Amino acid sequence: MQWVKEFWRRVRHIGNRSKFHDELDDEILFHITTRTDELEHTGLSRREAIAQARREFGSTARMQEDTHEAWQFHWIEDLWSDLRYGLRSFRRDKAFTAAAILSLALGIGINTTIFSLTMEFLFSKPSARNPERLVDVRIGGNSHAAIREFRFVRDAHDFEGLAGRHEEAVANWRYGTETYRVFSVRVTDNYFDVTGVPIAMGRPIQHGEDNTVVLTDHFWHNRLGADPQVLGRPLFFDGKPYTVVGVLPHDHRTLLGYGYSPDVYLPVGPHDEKQVVALVARLPEGMTRQVALERVKAICRQLDKTYPQEDPRSVDNSAVISLSGFDRFENEGALPIALFFGMLLVVVGLVLLIACANVASLLLARASSRRQEIAVRLAIGASRSRVIRQLLAESLLLATLGTLAGLAVNLLLTSATNRIQFPLPIPVQLMIQPDWRLLAYSAAVALLTALVSGLMPALKATRSNVSSTMKQGEHQVREGRWTLRNALVTGQLAVSILLLATGFLFLRNLMKATSMNPGFDVQHTAWAQMRLVPERYPKQESVRPIVSAAINQLRAIPGVEAASVVATVPLNDNYHIGAPVRADSSQQSIAAQWNYNRVSADYFRTMDIPILAGRAFSPTDDGNAPPVVIMNENFARLLFGNANPVGHTISYLKGKPMTIVGLARNSKYFTLGEENKLALYLPYFQNNDTRADLSFLVRAERPEAVVKEVTTVLEKLDSSASVETKLMRNALTFALLPSRMGGVLLGSIGFLGLALASIGLYGVLAYAVSRRTREIGLRVALGADRAAVLGMVARQSLSLVVIAIAVGLGIAFFATKPLAMFLVPDLSPRDPVSFLAVIGVLLLVALAATLGPALRALRIDPMEALRYE
Amino acid sequence: MTPSPELLPGTLYLLILRTLASGELHGYAIARHIKNSSAETLQIEDGSLYPALNRMLVKGWVSAEWGISENNRKARFYKLTPEGRKQLNRETKEFDRLIQAIQMVMRTA
Repeated sequence: MQWVKEFWRRVRHIGNRSKFHDELDDEILFHITTRTDELEHTGLSRREAIAQARREFGSTARMQEDTHEAWQFHWIEDLWSDLRYGLRSFRRDKAFTAAAILSLALGIGINTTIFSLTMEFLFSKPSARNPERLVDVRIGGNSHAAIREFRFVRDAHDFEGLAGRHEEAVANWRYGTETYRVFSVRVTDNYFDVTGVPIAMGRPIQHGEDNTVVLTDHFWHNRLGADPQVLGRPLFFDGKPYTVVGVLPHDHRTLLGYGYSPDVYLPVGPHDEKQVVALVARLPEGMTRQVALERVKAICRQLDKTYPQEDPRSVDNSAVISLSGFDRFENEGALPIALFFGMLLVVVGLVLLIACANVASLLLARASSRRQEIAVRLAIGASRSRVIRQLLAESLLLATLGTLAGLAVNLLLTSATNRIQFPLPIPVQLMIQPDWRLLAYSAAVALLTALVSGLMPALKATRSNVSSTMKQGEHQVREGRWTLRNALVTGQLAVSILLLATGFLFLRNLMKATSMNPGFDVQHTAWAQMRLVPERYPKQESVRPIVSAAINQLRAIPGVEAASVVATVPLNDNYHIGAPVRADSSQQSIAAQWNYNRVSADYFRTMDIPILAGRAFSPTDDGNAPPVVIMNENFARLLFGNANPVGHTISYLKGKPMTIVGLARNSKYFTLGEENKLALYLPYFQNNDTRADLSFLVRAERPEAVVKEVTTVLEKLDSSASVETKLMRNALTFALLPSRMGGVLLGSIGFLGLALASIGLYGVLAYAVSRRTREIGLRVALGADRAAVLGMVARQSLSLVVIAIAVGLGIAFFATKPLAMFLVPDLSPRDPVSFLAVIGVLLLVALAATLGPALRALRIDPMEALRYE
Repeated sequence: MTPSPELLPGTLYLLILRTLASGELHGYAIARHIKNSSAETLQIEDGSLYPALNRMLVKGWVSAEWGISENNRKARFYKLTPEGRKQLNRETKEFDRLIQAIQMVMRTA
């Protein structure tokens, strides 16, 4: 490793440069003085001696320079001069430089933005002390554990610490005379202790406290006007006073991640036995997840002895899942998310490739106009590698400038993304921050760009025969049809077709998803969410009167045609059950998985879901009546084939048989993309499971006219409840989010790719035609028909485009196949409409790129054309 | 003074390495030693010694340290490193082979 040591000696030298110069002066002085003394001894006069010594020494200036050079990095000096030369030539060629930098800025800007987004979604870490040692503990595979289970596991002291949290818990915040629905995280009193979540102001919730609250920065800012005296202030949540003790920093990330941004952290009350919490454990230093899992399983077995359940906990389903970084995707069904981002990175990589191809063809065009200069340099003895280095330095300079501009684009785009208020049922705010990874990535991208876009033109430019190029006019000879530039533009077009096809596909997907009929009426329905303060309704039965009263009063509002209460709002909540069921008295059970919902009598009328056979629920289907159900067509087909299910019964393994009274048409339940899902409806009042979160649906010809009245009616029923009413058609955002995100992202990326490729295509075609100006002029001068000449030029351009389209569509046909998983079911990834649109757009661009310069060439006076160049 | 014969490229390193083999010396002493031991035939320009010495410092063949010269002046003393000693052996062998080859050509010609 000789050169490494050499390298370091040179590096150390840089720091000692001034000392080095002084010492060198001292050394020269010593040498000359000693020699002078010696010469003086031989009898020379002092002055003669000095002159003689100087002469023998030679030029001190040259010696100093040579010595200095011994320590320098030659390639850095060379690079520096190459860069300066490149910068000068860029300044001469402003249009070229602007086009190249703009291409790169867009390509790199979008690339780094998607990179930042991917980093945020896939690798971001929660705000906590050593988050990599925090894990999600799932006892018996359950995401949440009861409070007594939490205490049991905590007191087993198997981990460095164990806390519980319930994210996405809603609380009613009473402020003045208003009640607001806020998103809280309910945490056990040791939560902040175990996780070490940093606090910006004040202190965290501490051991033994059940009446303190920690605010998030945005709650403090937006709801309390950033009150500097906020610490110690009492706030009322769910009818109880809590003292503000702390405020979180503005860049707080919850353990849940994905930008979930709650409003407040509230402690779980000491007597809150019904609360369930997700367990988070801090692993001791060095403990692996496997070891932790064994402990969890052991605890699970002990739990079964201490708190036996009807069905024993399934020990083997227990899991220990990382909370930070990419590990959290291991056990989750989050693979599609990772794949989606992977696809995005590939897609923007292709955009960058197009941008690089643009720069490469610009460099090629430039290199051919610089052929003479390069030939001269080669002829006077510059080595080929030296000239290539010069050209590469220029493309490196371009890439660096492009990357800087791209980073600026990135900062603009990410700060815009951070400000987006996602129209989601839960508050989500992204926190994309540029970091060193982004810088490293952009540097890598810049280098790669320089190599990809610079190497080919540089090699080509230096390969040409010196003597033939030196002679001017040689390049008027028509080049072979398949020049490197043509290949580049074909490849570029092919890639952009792939991008465009993908973009169109996702846009079509968005259109289809938006117009897709979910199987129920979203245009004439409104959804009111009412949250009761749980403490006010200690018993299940106490909720029932207010629900019945609400339905009656909503129904009485003028304009409302039907009103009902529902446990699960379709396309917003997800509640499904998987279990073996039995039809009638058959001994054979069938494993099924179905969407489960409890609805009141008028639900099917409210949502306009047709009952195909039998009847809908009636108000008399309550706890005193025999149990009844309504199933959808898919469920009926599974159990009874094509026979009418009405009158048959269905039962769980241990449960009583329930009579099927109705058959409902299939609809969508959780996502628009789902197909053939089973569904089972139960009467709302026949079941004891009543929650504090109530959802009412009302039907009206003009739902927007009744929204206000609905809210007023519900608020009057219980002034401590928080009520929020929205139109059903605005509440589908969650279901449409994937399609929207895909449509917006890939649509815009596709068009960006097309724009870049069009610039490239236009540039190449225009350049090719303009180089034939003389030929065209000659043909016209000799009497060729202008239209025929135009046709010839257009034909040649179009042949290029047609080949590109064929290649691109061929690739797209296969490459888009795996995209089916992101699309709605009735859209094929080989959707012909998308492909046709792509072909049309590209042909238009090619035509515009050819006709412009060709017409200009035709209009030129033949004499002028002959003198051209 | 007769014009000095041109040095073969790279021989200056060999001369310096050989000179330093007997112990550490300052720049002037090296120059004098080369001049004297070649009976003043090899007259290198004194100034050209220093770039060569610095290149050798970069390569790690010699190390340098400030000290006091025999005439009580501050001077920079150069010393062979183990790496430099190896290099001396290598170059000496190379040089011998080269000289032998040249002599063989001269004799047969």
